[in-house]
Amino acid sequence: MLKIAQLSKRFSDRQVLNQLCLHISAGEIYGLLGPNGAGKTTLINIICRLINSDQGTVEIDSQPISANTRSLIGIAPQENLLYQSLTCAENLDFFASLYGLRKAEKIRQIDYCLHSVNLQSRADSIVANLSGGMARRLNMAIALIHQPKLLILDEPTTGLDIEARYEIWELIQQLRDRGMTILLTTHLLEEAERLCQKIGILKNGKIVVEGSLEQLRSLIPAKEILIMRTREEDLAIAIAKKQNFIVRNYGSDLVFWLPEQKSLQEVINLFASVPIDSVAIQPVRLENIYVEVTTSSDY
Amino acid sequence: MKYWYETTAVGRRILLELVRHRRSLILWAIFPISILLLNGFILAEGNKISLAEAFKLATPSTLVGSALFFSCLGGTISTIVSERESHTLKRLLISPLSGISYYLGILLAYGCIGVGQTILVCSVAAFFKVTFTGSFFFGGLIILLTIASYVGAGFLLGINFARRVEDVNGLVAGVGVPMLILGGAFFPTRFFSKELLLIAQFNPVYHMNEALSGISFQAKDWHDPEMLIHLRFLVGFFVVAIAGGWLTYRKMLNQEKSL
Repeated sequence: MLKIAQLSKRFSDRQVLNQLCLHISAGEIYGLLGPNGAGKTTLINIICRLINSDQGTVEIDSQPISANTRSLIGIAPQENLLYQSLTCAENLDFFASLYGLRKAEKIRQIDYCLHSVNLQSRADSIVANLSGGMARRLNMAIALIHQPKLLILDEPTTGLDIEARYEIWELIQQLRDRGMTILLTTHLLEEAERLCQKIGILKNGKIVVEGSLEQLRSLIPAKEILIMRTREEDLAIAIAKKQNFIVRNYGSDLVFWLPEQKSLQEVINLFASVPIDSVAIQPVRLENIYVEVTTSSDY
Repeated sequence: MKYWYETTAVGRRILLELVRHRRSLILWAIFPISILLLNGFILAEGNKISLAEAFKLATPSTLVGSALFFSCLGGTISTIVSERESHTLKRLLISPLSGISYYLGILLAYGCIGVGQTILVCSVAAFFKVTFTGSFFFGGLIILLTIASYVGAGFLLGINFARRVEDVNGLVAGVGVPMLILGGAFFPTRFFSKELLLIAQFNPVYHMNEALSGISFQAKDWHDPEMLIHLRFLVGFFVVAIAGGWLTYRKMLNQEKSL
């Protein structure tokens, strides 16, 4: 559905995208992760033809991007770009007109989109009176009004409370079940873990690792992650190194990669000489992979 | 057909927003009516002329100055600034909406408001027995050129000098009010000194006012040498405002795309 090859973009002295390649199959949710300034917004702007690339190609549904491919893309920006004094239905009506929908088709699509985002009872509510979660759902409904083949969700749950976040996740899952192809950018790794079939991590303008969550897990040579807090870090590190554990520091936490599964009691016995404040064992999570990829010079 | 649908969609949306806010529409109705009434009564009293004559003198200047100027120029500036401030412009840039349709949509919306104000002001004037003796066609043409010029100038000023909604008031007051006074919108130009009249020759509001007054209310022929000067200036200003507005608008689109 989306094929990007050798895409490069430079802004004055900064290479924002560097020979980036990306492929999203139809019906797939692709999670694009990366630190601020990694080039996510630039990539979206190029796909939407807001800016031109210096080099490379972008194809949507096997068509090179052009004015004609605009109607193939639906984009829900991270800010709710809505007309505050209009109702939900009027906002949808306006954007439906811009996408060339006429009368009966427009009415049908407005109804379908409101139903899809569970806002049919708020069709005549003024946008300014909606809650943050409702406004975000309407923002997504506008992106769906013209039945795009590719939906781009730019940080869809940023700034929402947990309840609204669950609503948006449920909505994205419903869209996935209907076969919608989605490119999702997010800083919430839990969001990517829950929703995406494929995840790519963008660093220095290119995708440095890519794959399913399971495939990404294999990048870290660990079965589990041990997180410890202690005043005697040096002693703990020395013991860990003797056991061939790989050592990492995540903020104030001391982290060891365990090459094989161990029970909590085994770990406590192993570090018996260390005054432990807290200790926990958890499976390898996307967060661990992300931190490793974005901070390590190996990628 | 695509342009037509898009233009009407943009125009309808702006009008709907104005209807929802109401305040602007109400003020755009109250302000010219109150200025017309004040001017009419002051002129009648000061010049010892009939109310019909006084209102005949006051109507064109009120229409050009107090009605169309604030709605078509001020309104256009507000629309552009609020669209930029709320970033909805970016969503429009992502959509297939063409730049021409957006420009024409704003022109259509404020054109409708301008025509509405014209009907309102002329109705009040008619209530005071003012008769419109001139050409309806040319009168209508002058009003349409005036509306389009103001919208074009609104694009020019709004994009270049107003980044936030708060800037709009300052811009309209700082640029607009002196232009209106010098254009004879509040005081008839026959009270002006020679020097002031000379400066007024460079003011588009003065020419709009004189052209409308001469052709629609004093039954002057458009061939009249004096009218030709006003009409030429008006057409020239229309071309400059529309072209300048369009070029500035293109510049804004490029700026907004790169944000």
